Amino acid sequence: MRRFLAQLVERLPTDFRVLYRQFLLRVVDLEALSIHADVISYLGQFAGILFMISLLQAVGAFFSTLGPAPPPEALVPLAWNTEQSMISMMMLVVGLITVVSWDSTFPDRRDIMVLSPLPVRPSTILFAKVAASAAILGIAVIALNGASAFAWPLVLAGVPGILRFSPALWLTMFAASAFLYCAVLTVQGFTALLLPRRMFLRLSAILQLGAFGLFLAVYFLTPNLRTLADFDAPANQSLIAWCPSYWFFALFNQLNGSLPLKLEWLAVRAWIGLTVALCGASVSLLFCYTRTMKKTVEEPDLVPGTGGMHRTPRFGSALQTAIVLFSFRSLTRSRQHRVILAFFLSVVFAIALSLLRSELNSPARLPVNQDFIVPNFLMMTFAIIGLRSVFSLPISLTANWVLRTTQLCSSDKYVAATRRTLLVLCVLPVLVMTALLSLSFRPWTQVAGHLALLAIIGCIFTEISLIGFYKVPFTCSYLPGKSNIQYAFWGVLIILPVLAISFAPFEQQALNNPVRFAWLAALLAAATLGLWTFNRHQAKSAVLYFEELPPEIITTLGLISPRPSSSE
Amino acid sequence: MLELRRVSKHFSGIPAVDDVSFTARPGEVTGYLGPNGSGKSTTMKMITGLIEMTLGHILFEGKPIQDDLIAYKRRMGYVPEEPYLYNHLSGAEYLTMVAQLRNLPPRQSSECIDGLLRLLSLYDDRHASISGYSKGMRQKVLIAAALMHNPQLILLDEPFSGLDVGSALVLRSLIQELAARGKVVLFSSHELDTVERVCSHVVILHRGKLVADDSIERLRSLMALPNLEAIFSQLAVEQDTGSMARQIADLIHA
Repeated sequence: MRRFLAQLVERLPTDFRVLYRQFLLRVVDLEALSIHADVISYLGQFAGILFMISLLQAVGAFFSTLGPAPPPEALVPLAWNTEQSMISMMMLVVGLITVVSWDSTFPDRRDIMVLSPLPVRPSTILFAKVAASAAILGIAVIALNGASAFAWPLVLAGVPGILRFSPALWLTMFAASAFLYCAVLTVQGFTALLLPRRMFLRLSAILQLGAFGLFLAVYFLTPNLRTLADFDAPANQSLIAWCPSYWFFALFNQLNGSLPLKLEWLAVRAWIGLTVALCGASVSLLFCYTRTMKKTVEEPDLVPGTGGMHRTPRFGSALQTAIVLFSFRSLTRSRQHRVILAFFLSVVFAIALSLLRSELNSPARLPVNQDFIVPNFLMMTFAIIGLRSVFSLPISLTANWVLRTTQLCSSDKYVAATRRTLLVLCVLPVLVMTALLSLSFRPWTQVAGHLALLAIIGCIFTEISLIGFYKVPFTCSYLPGKSNIQYAFWGVLIILPVLAISFAPFEQQALNNPVRFAWLAALLAAATLGLWTFNRHQAKSAVLYFEELPPEIITTLGLISPRPSSSE
Repeated sequence: MLELRRVSKHFSGIPAVDDVSFTARPGEVTGYLGPNGSGKSTTMKMITGLIEMTLGHILFEGKPIQDDLIAYKRRMGYVPEEPYLYNHLSGAEYLTMVAQLRNLPPRQSSECIDGLLRLLSLYDDRHASISGYSKGMRQKVLIAAALMHNPQLILLDEPFSGLDVGSALVLRSLIQELAARGKVVLFSSHELDTVERVCSHVVILHRGKLVADDSIERLRSLMALPNLEAIFSQLAVEQDTGSMARQIADLIHA
């Protein structure tokens, strides 16, 4: 098999193979990685995270077999719930990959300027790009279902049923992934074709963020429908008609031979959606490679600036203003930074949306309770950790020299400027959002107390995130590459909810008792002050770190083998 | 006055700059020359404080620069060899950021930035992203950023790179004007004609070692050579350039 594959690969044209490897590695922006990082291990870490999720699902399947066997009437809801969870998780992951590698399937200016003078056909570039994207998606599908797509069929269908169940599940996963990826490509392609290039570039960034928010919101906000009655409910009709994860759930059951007749129309939607997306992506890609490549070359290098506001607001001292504005501009203008931040912010917005939904649905004015405190705590902490993570992605390491030659203040002033950035770009917006979500629906005195405590918690997490951070945002790389992403990911995902749930009862009691409130606020303020003093003291003696130059060693490329000396 | 005393820089034990000493005085432009890989940019980076020297001392106005690096940086302006800038900012935003990092008074720096942008013909494109700037435009941004705080020491590493003829003539005059106003100017370039016109004093580096440190006039008369190009060829060029050109043409079967 291996020999056959090797022979198959050798038959592919050399230019295709070279471009395919290049495009595969370019899913990750190399400058974002630490100078010590390895792209392959970085991709491996992400595959590891996906496989870990799959493994957890498989463990869940194993535990479900330990108890007494469920009655036959409970088996269908369990199966439907599991199938929908797996499909919607798969679609979320593919959606996130689609957004992270947003226009990587289309030729960018760099590709065109580098490859156009070379004797490479546009079709070779197109096929290499599509193959690279397909490889990444394939890895994601296999990693995310590697364990669960074998464990759950065993539980739900038993040994004889697995022969149909498992292939049906794999086919559905690949179909759902292809649908989502192609749907996004279709939208991108036709937008690129129909709009002038400059407008497209601006709209593309908005579409990217919108897609990110949409995928996360759909994942977090759509319920799993466990019975036929749920599917029949009039309130759910528009949801199942327009949400593709239900279509592919129906497609899976059709392939598995377990689809109720009433849901046939959903499976038909899946097939139609898949066909339309595949055709749309093919047509838009073909048109883009024949038409927009020319448009891109003809585009002028210098795009005039907008006639908007160019006054710079003040955010404290000159240094603080410089760092806050530099951070804000880096976040808003760099695609890669926007995407990573959007991941965290989308979680924040998804929580906010679910809160708003429960607020609007609640019949009476509720007090500030734990159901309200926990999401706000999570919003605040996710936002701070998200922004702090994005700070570790460099914007341009080679340009750091200017910050070094203009470093006229001690390190603690730079740490203070970074603190100001976190407070202005993170803590303040979350507080405003919480206030908007709560003031109309909850007693204002309790809301004011809650906001005060949330502000202090924001300050505590800001200080925690600054421990050991003797850097200017966006000038050094830490994540991804040097750090082990898996530990960070699972750490945040497990620790934050536990902290939020543990803290909420204390806060609720404090909001109903002024003395307790004063004690809690004083305790949290003391913790903030302690952390602030610690950070300030440490920063004073620290040397500001810039990652700009590779280590001071001369590396040989090993192209010439050492010759024996003449004396030998 | 900028003074280098027996400065060396080793990378993994291999000397990139070896025992270099020279002085750049106020009121004159010191040319710093050498072939590729001779250690010019490494020396420049040591003088700016971007990298640390392995041995020796760098003194500015009699004090080692490491004693108070912050005070030294306040008085130094640097144009690097490569026009590396934060491409996501506009020209005006970049210069404003540099002014803020240098803690210049806002009104004064704003007027200075506007003036520099106008004089360097960048004003109309000041709000455009630097990513779209040509090499010459980037070079002008670097020059403006290096000069806006009126530094006493000006370090120019290939400052003419990418500039059109008109801008290069302006910069040449500007370098002389700044030196005439008492600034210390250290100027590194491969354009020997320009160096010969602008500099009164040259320092030539070859394989990390100093091979000449004198006025151009004295070098001409000592070596009995007509111009700086001939002096440089004799001191720092080892290959037979004509033969090398023939070998390259043969190699590609031209």
